[in-house]
Amino acid sequence: MARPVKILLAGEGGQGVQAVAEIIAEAAYEKGREALYIPNFGIEQRGGVSLAFVQVGDEPIGPPRFETADLAIALSDRAVVRSRPYVGPETTFIYDSSIGTNHLPQGVARLVAVPAIEVSKKELHPRVFNVMILGAVIGLTGVITVEEAKEAIERRLGHRFEKDPALRELNHRAVERGVELVKGKL
Amino acid sequence: MPTKPKPVEGEKKVFMTGNEVVAWAAAAAGAECMYGYPITPQNEIMHYWTRLAPKFGLIFLQTEDELSAGFTMLGGVLAGRKSFTATAGPGNTLMQEPLSMAEMMRLPAVVVIQQRGGPSTGQVVYSQQEVTLTSLGGNGEGLRVVYSTSSHQDLYDYTIKAFNTAWRYRFPTFLLGDGYQGKMREPVVMYDPEVRGVELVPAEPYVGRPGTPGVDRPPAHLRNAYSIEEELYEAVMELVREYEKVAPEIVEHEAFGVDGARVVAVAHGVVFRAVKGVVRELRQQGVPVGYFRPITLRPFPADALRRVAATGVRLLVVESAYGQLARLVKEALSGLPAEVHGLYKPGVLVGQGEIATRIKTLVQGG
Repeated sequence: MARPVKILLAGEGGQGVQAVAEIIAEAAYEKGREALYIPNFGIEQRGGVSLAFVQVGDEPIGPPRFETADLAIALSDRAVVRSRPYVGPETTFIYDSSIGTNHLPQGVARLVAVPAIEVSKKELHPRVFNVMILGAVIGLTGVITVEEAKEAIERRLGHRFEKDPALRELNHRAVERGVELVKGKL
Repeated sequence: MPTKPKPVEGEKKVFMTGNEVVAWAAAAAGAECMYGYPITPQNEIMHYWTRLAPKFGLIFLQTEDELSAGFTMLGGVLAGRKSFTATAGPGNTLMQEPLSMAEMMRLPAVVVIQQRGGPSTGQVVYSQQEVTLTSLGGNGEGLRVVYSTSSHQDLYDYTIKAFNTAWRYRFPTFLLGDGYQGKMREPVVMYDPEVRGVELVPAEPYVGRPGTPGVDRPPAHLRNAYSIEEELYEAVMELVREYEKVAPEIVEHEAFGVDGARVVAVAHGVVFRAVKGVVRELRQQGVPVGYFRPITLRPFPADALRRVAATGVRLLVVESAYGQLARLVKEALSGLPAEVHGLYKPGVLVGQGEIATRIKTLVQGG
């Protein structure tokens, strides 16, 4: 039985991991694949670590949350800690280079640091940080193509791009830069 | 007068949250009024309903609590409107009082439950701990129908079915989902029931009908209070007889691989999704295992499960509660020498690895 690709995104509230998860799941669905996305949601209204579980496959997806991610992306120290229960020997674990190495999981398939926060600040704009992460997920998993990601972004933000075409350009560059960041990391 | 637009025309595939699916399905099922009080994780059913309301001429009333939501819903029902509510956890506890009245008065109603963790406030996310409450709550005999869904397609199909069951048989009908189903997004085909040949059972007013009661028409005689024990006894026995008569028409389950199985896993809701994947994979590897999923928890598919258990299999009940489904299973199997094992994880999803390990141990006689 073909297993779905299981992706865990973990970040601070406001880093935009839920938007990334939703874009991936929706774009995969639009191209006719099976997809399931569920955010973690607790009693707190804001703050804290935000987790998103995404699964993409070719057969109907099983349970909404999985035990072990194929790809886990953690974007803060606390997000690393929260991700650890969902990490195993088959997991590719991506974390931002700014994170201290104390709590990083041991015994995973690959442990990869990407300078996403730094690059988004220096080369692009902090507001497209999550779009760069989207690019990184695409580069690592191929669950959707860059073009499909751009179409999905257009569906969400097209109305804003109408007023500010430079914003579209910025988002496109962020996806592409995200793909570049992880090139050769697998 | 222009005809009212249909909430769902033809058929279309969409990708949305389960709560949104329920709101669309209720509208497609011809529901006219929703009464409710907010509680996580069902809030978005209300939110989406209020978005649909102005477009399709639907009614929404937010009440001061769940007791009131339940009773105002029954007011809508008495007036002849297809009405429903949605709640969870502590709200479900309060909802039992009005729904008990619905049982006594033989009123239809649809209640959507998105289970969260308990007891009490517990957590707002997920559980299967409202099985006993939803199936047997209230100070009566549990004369209600409970459909347990496990996918967005179920949420759509069984919301429509719940309205038909409620209005056809006049027993309160529950759609038992959970917070994961409410909040997750997955594909679902929405359709106009007519396109699928599903006829919607019409609603009629129970009170305030034209004519003089007792002269032009029989009086509406809806009682939930009786003077003496024997009087109530007769009324309850009549309800029980009616319920037992229609139960075989309502009861539903699905099963796979039970012939020749040494172990049969029993699960419902999202836990069933985990069980289904594990069982199908183990079957492919030649492990003699099957699954049994009750779709109606009330009435419970006891006869079908007894046939499975009679072959001498070991049953493994898997649930996100501490034996609530298992209690229904054991009651159904009463008198049979069936072995019932449990994998209970109250308030958390049961992992597929854990399920597979337990099944293999049981197959090997452990």
